[in-house]
Amino acid sequence: MLGYATRKLLISVVVLFFATLVAFLLVATVDPIAEQRVFLLSQPGGAEQVQRLEASLGLDKPLMERYGSWLGDMFTGDMGTSTDNGRAVTTLLGEAIPVTLRLVIAATVISVILGVAVGVVSAMRQYGKFDNISTFFAFLFFAMPVFWLGALLKDLGIRFNDWWGRRIFFTIGEQSPRLDADFWGTWADRAGHIILPALTLIAIQLAATSRFQRSAMLDVLESDYIRTARAKGVPRRRVITHHALRNALLPVVSYTGLTFGTLIGGTVVTEVVFNWKGMGRLFLESLLNGDVAVTQGWLLAVGISVIIVNLLTDLTYGFLDPRVRDG
Amino acid sequence: MTSPANPKAEVPVLSVQDLEVVFPTPDGDVQAVRGVSWDIYEGEVLAIAGESGSGKSVSVMAALGLLPPSAQVSGSISYRGQDVTAMADKELEKLRGSAISMVFQDPMTSLNPVMTVGAQIAEGVRVHQRTKMAIARSKAVELLHLVGIPNASQRVDSYPHELSGGMRQRAMIAMAIANDPDLLIADEPTTALDVTIQAQVLDVLERAREAAGSALVVITHDLGVVARTAHRLLVMYAGRIAETGMADNVFERPAHPYTAGLLGAIPRLDAPKGTRLMPIDGTPPSMLAPPPGCAFAPRCPRATEICSQETPELRPIGTQLTACHHAEDQYGEAEDV
Ligand SMILES: Nc1ncnc2c1ncn2[C@@H]1O[C@H](COP(=O)(O)OP(=O)(O)OP(=O)(O)O)[C@@H](O)[C@H]1O
Ligand code: SF4
Ligand SMILES: [Mg+2]
Repeated sequence: MLGYATRKLLISVVVLFFATLVAFLLVATVDPIAEQRVFLLSQPGGAEQVQRLEASLGLDKPLMERYGSWLGDMFTGDMGTSTDNGRAVTTLLGEAIPVTLRLVIAATVISVILGVAVGVVSAMRQYGKFDNISTFFAFLFFAMPVFWLGALLKDLGIRFNDWWGRRIFFTIGEQSPRLDADFWGTWADRAGHIILPALTLIAIQLAATSRFQRSAMLDVLESDYIRTARAKGVPRRRVITHHALRNALLPVVSYTGLTFGTLIGGTVVTEVVFNWKGMGRLFLESLLNGDVAVTQGWLLAVGISVIIVNLLTDLTYGFLDPRVRDG
Repeated sequence: MTSPANPKAEVPVLSVQDLEVVFPTPDGDVQAVRGVSWDIYEGEVLAIAGESGSGKSVSVMAALGLLPPSAQVSGSISYRGQDVTAMADKELEKLRGSAISMVFQDPMTSLNPVMTVGAQIAEGVRVHQRTKMAIARSKAVELLHLVGIPNASQRVDSYPHELSGGMRQRAMIAMAIANDPDLLIADEPTTALDVTIQAQVLDVLERAREAAGSALVVITHDLGVVARTAHRLLVMYAGRIAETGMADNVFERPAHPYTAGLLGAIPRLDAPKGTRLMPIDGTPPSMLAPPPGCAFAPRCPRATEICSQETPELRPIGTQLTACHHAEDQYGEAEDV
């Protein structure tokens, strides 16, 4: 296991290196002064001004040299400042990440647990009532665009509040502004805010996870070692929990890791629908403002999180499957 | 229908009577087993032979209630007089692995890949005997040692993928005898293994059987070593019994052309007298719509008109029971050779 973990860690470092390269190139190959350039060059003596501008931004240096100094800055924690509001990129990320993390973790944990449970129960009574109903909802949510589901839940939440006469579901922001509450009050307020956006993500993730778990479980239940376990006299419940489930979790673990990127995409959309000040909003604003340093910092942060999640997935997989661990 | 060579007048360990198994499929009903009866007595070794698809596995799987829920089973299967087919899940679970246990064909896929072999053996012990984990584990080591796995006390912590095919099958055998079953069923225990280790594993199986003091049903699709070490032999064809009797007698004088064919001694009209031909030409019929009459007729050198019209009943021929209209001719010829 230790050898396996070390190997996976080394691979992650290599991947991380490429991720920094991609994050840099994606943004650096876009000319940040394209408009000024056209304007200035049409003026007498504009060429010199362009050169000066390039030098001040470091654009006159070769691409690889620029990458090197950018990477060095990144390592020392200097991710530059926003050209839009002059704040440090690290500060902006530091504010946005915890907000988004809350949503992503809640959605992932709940959708995986529910997805596994729904998938297992569906598989055990294939084509039963529960299976048919869950299949219906899985396809429904699977086919629904995230923004639409989000908007729908938002609308339902508002109607529910009106009907109840009290605000149960908050539909704007990640917490009430100028909230003056103790620790528990703060978290209760956050919970009220997170329900609907989390539900949006959960519904979509759950649709895929439960289908995936269902088919993995059906495959495993037909395998020879399940027959062996039954032939030994292992009670049905124990066959499911100790033999079938442990094997059927494997594909779901890798699936969850692989679709983490998609989840981030869904999170960006959900945050916009519910006006959260998280990573989604930060990304969109940086794009709209041409805020290169923020976009780069964002890409890097998300890239790192994807790498970390994949590493965790691999380690979990190795923990569950001895064949992978030794392979 | 009882065994022709019933040595003891006691209650059989397992008695299968008029067993029929049908699998409904989208293409129609697969008639996997079509009226099969046999008994096995304490300490006996019964070999069930027949080509692929003849219903060997299905008929023993039915004895442990291991068929998929879609299977329609009729007839009776009784363990020491108790009807297994009528048992509730709980009762069946008690029977499985303790009174009757099974070794499967493919040791590569029959062990749980994410559990150590020791844990899998210990689990088999603990579901039937209330013992501490440590005791079950030392029992597992003991069993692994018994089936000839070197370094058993270390191997007990190996995962299946760390063992060779032969070692895995030994582990399967160890698991099967963990609770000293009355009856051990081995479904083609060596088919998936390297030829060079097949004999070793058969030895282990025999030793394990003796250690556990159980009766043994061994399924095979050839009449090689496995069938020859058995006391009794049962030959299946297309879901029915073609012939059964004391193994030595059947080998010496098969009364069914199919048995004779399997033995590679089937005389053909166009072949010079005394020529030995190995495999039987043709393939077994589809079990979706087995032909009327004798299912072997399309491949049988002795077939006549009656064969494809009337189903031959199992009847005494010499020392065995044979289902063939022309059994006397076959039996008589075997004597001439
Ligand atoms: N679950 C099932 N559904 C449909 N048909 C089945 C099922 N299990 C077995 N059969 C069919 O029943 C017939 C008998 O199968 P069985 O496995 O008993 O053969 P066998 O004699 O053990 O052959 P082999 O030597 O290949 O193991 C075959 O035609 C097989 O296709
Ligand atoms: S009944 Fe006829 S076809 Fe069938 S085995 Fe006997 S001789 Fe051959
Ligand atoms: Mg078989």
